[in-house]
Amino acid sequence: MALNLSMEVLVVDDYKTMIRIIRNLLKQLGFQNIDDAADGAEALGKLKEKSYGLIISDWNMEPMTGYELLKEVRSDDVLAKTPFIMVTAESKTENVIAAKKAGVNNYIVKPFNAATLKNKINAVFGES
Amino acid sequence: MKFNTALSKHSDEILKLLKNARDKDIKLNDVMSMAEIMMNSMHAFFKSMDVAVYKEMRDIATYIEKAKGDISNLQANKLKGEHIPVAGRELDEVVAATERATDIIMENAENIMATDTSDPIAYQKAVNEGLMNIFEACSFQDITGQRITKVVGTLKHIEERVSKFASATGVQDSEGVFTEEEIKRFKRQKDLILHGPQAEGKGTAQDDIDAMFD
Repeated sequence: MALNLSMEVLVVDDYKTMIRIIRNLLKQLGFQNIDDAADGAEALGKLKEKSYGLIISDWNMEPMTGYELLKEVRSDDVLAKTPFIMVTAESKTENVIAAKKAGVNNYIVKPFNAATLKNKINAVFGES
Repeated sequence: MKFNTALSKHSDEILKLLKNARDKDIKLNDVMSMAEIMMNSMHAFFKSMDVAVYKEMRDIATYIEKAKGDISNLQANKLKGEHIPVAGRELDEVVAATERATDIIMENAENIMATDTSDPIAYQKAVNEGLMNIFEACSFQDITGQRITKVVGTLKHIEERVSKFASATGVQDSEGVFTEEEIKRFKRQKDLILHGPQAEGKGTAQDDIDAMFD
C-alpha cells in the first residue's frame, strides 16, 4: 500500500487540543485531507459514510474506545483493511499486545513527537 | 454469694419447705417463706447481673467516647465541606488554565506557520508578536504549579488524618462495598484495558513497542 498524501485521514480523539496537534503535524507532513471524530462511535459513523486511507485513534474515549473501534473496523468487510495507528497514553504491554492481536498496524505512546508520527506512518505504508 | 451457689442453696430450702408441707394444709406463712426464699434467689441474680452489665456498659461507653474522639480528629465534615471541594476547584482551574494556555500557544504557532514570508519586515514583526504571546501563555505553569501544590497538600492532610484514624480504631480493610455504578466502571476498565497514563518509567517504552511491530 503506497502512501498517498491526498488520502483522507481520520483522527479520533476526545481532546480537541490533541486533534489540533495531530492535524498540524499531519499538515506539516504534507497531508491535505484531515477529518476528525471525538470518539469511536462518531468515527465509525464517518467511516461508514466516506472512505479513509488512514485512521489515527486514541484508546481511552467514551462511549466507544479506540480499542473497540479497532475491533469494529477489523470485523467489517469493507473497512477491515484500513490502516490503523493507535496514539495513546495507554502504555502497558498488555494494551499493546491486545491492540496488536486486534489488528492495529502501529502503536504510538503519548507524548510523542513529529518524527515518531512520521516514522510510524511510513512504516505502515512500507515507506522508508 | 455467686448466683449459681445462691440458687442451689435456695432450691434446697424450697424443696425442704415443700417436703415438710406435704399432706398438710399450706399456710400463708409457708407461702410467705417461699416468696422470701425466691426473692433472695432473684436478688443474688440481679446483683450479679448488675455488676456485669454495668461493666459492659461502661466499656461500651468508653469505646464510643474514644471512637467519637477519633472521628472528631478525622475532621470528616471539614474534609468533606472544605478541603475536598477546594481541591476539586483548584484542579478545575488547572484544567481550564492549561486549556486556555494551549489554545493561545497553538493559535499563535499556527499564525506564525501561516504568515506570509514575502515581506521580511512584516514577517519578523508577526513572528516576534506570536512568540511574545507564546511566552506570556507559558506563565500558566507557575500558577498551575502553585494550585497543584495546594491539592497535594490537601491529599497529604487527608492521608494523615485517615491513617491516624485507622491506626487509632484498629480498623481492618474489608472487601469494600461498591455502588452499581462503580462496579460497572471497574468492569469497563477491565474489559477495555483502561489503565490510563503510567508514571515515568513504568509504562512500556516506545522502543520496546516498536520492537513488537518489527
